[in-house]
Amino acid sequence: MKKLKLVFPLLMLVLLSLPCTVFAAPQGTLRVGLSAMPNAIDLPMSSERNAHNVSWQIYDPLVWTDDTGKSVPALAESWTVSKDGTAYTFKLRKDVVFHNGEPFNADAVVFSWKRGSGTKMQWKDKWAMAESVKKIDDYTVTISTKGPNPLMLRMLSEYWAMVPPKYHAEVGENGFQKHPVGTGPFVFKQWKKGDRIIFEANPNYWQKGFPKVKNLIFRPIPESATRVAAIKTGEIDIVTRLSAEEADSLKGLSNVMLKTYPVDRVYYITFNNLTSGKGKPTENPLVRQAMNYAVDVDAIIKALLNGHGHPIAGFVTSGNWGYDKDNKPFGYDPEKAKQLLAKAGFPDGFEIDFAAPIGAYTNFEQVCEAIQGYLEAVGIKANLDLMESGKYWNMEAKKELPPLFGDSWSEATGEALPRLKGALGGMKASYSAWSDPKIDDLLEKIGTTVDDDARAKLYVELQGYMMENPPFIYLYQPITFEAMNPKVKDYKPRAAENYYLKGTYLE
Amino acid sequence: MQRYILSRLIQSFIMLVGVLFIVFFMLQLTGDPVALMVSRNASPEQVEELREELGFNRPVMVQFADFVSKAVRGDFGMSLRHHQPAMELILERLPATVELASMALLFAMVVGIPLGLLGGSNPGSIWDTLARGAGLIGQTIPNFWLALILIMVFAVGLGWFPSFGRETRQFMGLALPTKSVILPAFALGLFTMGQLVRFTRSAVLEIKNEDFVRTAYSKGLADRRIYIKHILRNAAIPLISILGVQFGYLLSGSIYIETIFSWPGLGNLLAESIGNRDFALVQAIAFFTSLVVVSLNLTADIAYGMADPRIRYGE
Repeated sequence: MKKLKLVFPLLMLVLLSLPCTVFAAPQGTLRVGLSAMPNAIDLPMSSERNAHNVSWQIYDPLVWTDDTGKSVPALAESWTVSKDGTAYTFKLRKDVVFHNGEPFNADAVVFSWKRGSGTKMQWKDKWAMAESVKKIDDYTVTISTKGPNPLMLRMLSEYWAMVPPKYHAEVGENGFQKHPVGTGPFVFKQWKKGDRIIFEANPNYWQKGFPKVKNLIFRPIPESATRVAAIKTGEIDIVTRLSAEEADSLKGLSNVMLKTYPVDRVYYITFNNLTSGKGKPTENPLVRQAMNYAVDVDAIIKALLNGHGHPIAGFVTSGNWGYDKDNKPFGYDPEKAKQLLAKAGFPDGFEIDFAAPIGAYTNFEQVCEAIQGYLEAVGIKANLDLMESGKYWNMEAKKELPPLFGDSWSEATGEALPRLKGALGGMKASYSAWSDPKIDDLLEKIGTTVDDDARAKLYVELQGYMMENPPFIYLYQPITFEAMNPKVKDYKPRAAENYYLKGTYLE
Repeated sequence: MQRYILSRLIQSFIMLVGVLFIVFFMLQLTGDPVALMVSRNASPEQVEELREELGFNRPVMVQFADFVSKAVRGDFGMSLRHHQPAMELILERLPATVELASMALLFAMVVGIPLGLLGGSNPGSIWDTLARGAGLIGQTIPNFWLALILIMVFAVGLGWFPSFGRETRQFMGLALPTKSVILPAFALGLFTMGQLVRFTRSAVLEIKNEDFVRTAYSKGLADRRIYIKHILRNAAIPLISILGVQFGYLLSGSIYIETIFSWPGLGNLLAESIGNRDFALVQAIAFFTSLVVVSLNLTADIAYGMADPRIRYGE
């Protein structure tokens, strides 16, 4: 008997020291508040961030981007890139099934690409960047692009969700929209439009030990004051997109934890040298530098954003690949601005038209009014026209806005290239108002340099050039505010306000 | 009576066509939604391609004719954002809005009408002060402000009600309301309550001084009988039409309340679709709510005409 008493604790000790192969079953219900109701639970159709975040919980891509920005295997175990950088060959995992039991294989990859690049899809350009997707064998596919594309893997992880071809053929596009099926950590259960989306843990998820919560519920709460109330009452575990004042009101509460981080978004006033800005003083780089020196961005951040933002020096933000931390913002120097204006031949300033959208971004109208005041102080009379945002973007896309206009640009891939190409692509890009041969050349090189370090160097060169020859008045990168229940652990939102909840758990 | 109904029907029809016209052209003023739909990196060719695909590059009158010819067949097109027929989306959200509007109307009636009667019957009394106070408060407090205060006090502070959302209880296939409707219904119904108090009070005051009431008194009828048979019954006639109009208002006027309480109804959907310039959906919701309002007014007018011969003979 005595021996037995000894054996039992020893046995326990041995069992505990064994490598942990048995994972804890997913537990609890995580309730997430959304700032808008998703339009679809489907990556190619999701029209904005909320829909995107909800969708990624039930799908998987071929590769993931990890928290450090590195591409890591997901549904593809490994991959090789051809010498010229235009063909990526992926070896797929063999143990993956869709939620309906259909096996995941090369056919699914080919089908997902064909569907994603279809005409009716919101993000077809993100899929159409692949010229072809070829099945080599059941578990090998080759994705080819026209030229080398350094953002290929990031795009795959951000947009290319794998969907089941057989199921899609059975239920059709409408049926798929109503009951989406993926390979992801969560399984779709129910969608009450405008009310809630309910997911459950995928018991057969290929990545063992995930997800960690049993039920995942998304509730749209468009009014931010109500999101604050819901986190206070404990009805919701995570809320996003709060204002600075709202976040302040939550400080010191025992049942709420705040989370703040800089968002990968830049605010700027752009110059135009394509249409309305032709022949204007702003074509002179000295004038554009002067206008950057004339605006006190720090004061604007302090007064209008309650201090919640960082001044920027270019379009590459602190979280982006190739960010040059030695590249400092212009800073406020009205005297220097006046000198530069005089040097450029405008000692008495000039008059220019200026536009900004209404209701599009927090306090942006006031920011633009402040800029108008700062410009006035150095002799530049900017005639500010505040416009309804829908009409504004329409005019922006048609390049009909005045030579000076304000806007903002976010980026989801972790690299500034799409934003740079979009805003500086000349007549070829809808939302661009600027063209500069040197910038074109650098962007072209960045866009074809697959080697990460070489690309980072090019980004640094570009950032330097864009300070001497600024196509924008650089403003700020905002900070976003989120709140969560302290029992929520391992919730890791990224700079593009995206999150993956498979590792999140409740204590 | 037939002529009366017919003329009302024609008026309603003209009204609806007018609504279609205004909604369509107001939206056109804001430009087309293509700019919002494409990714910001799209090339001008891609933007143009989508514009063509959605038919926004056609002349406005052609688009309008196309819209009307489909609308009369009940086809409002596909929601640009949801990729689903606009009517289908409306019908999905309708039950929540009907629940909220009905509960708001119920609250307004249960509180507003008795208070108006008490106030009107006893002018100058404490009841009258109360009625006038309720009428004033109901009609002057902005409901979106009230909604936020209600959430702060009764959801966050006291924890009596959920702060947002709609919960229902299933009973024999019906989705019955739960306490989640109380705060939004109160915030939404308060204005109507104020209307009903004031309206009932003044109707009672007016009728009390009518000749036939004085005759009833002089005949020596009991107070109670005079109230029920003469005063209340006569005050009820115009009340019918007011209720019809108010129900229409409640069904369509809940954009703020539904958005603040995250109530999954039509108002919430409308707010979202305006923000996204989802043309088809905005047009469909605007038309649908006008149809409801116009039909309720029509019904009330007809009921009113049936109850009060003076109306239909004045045609």
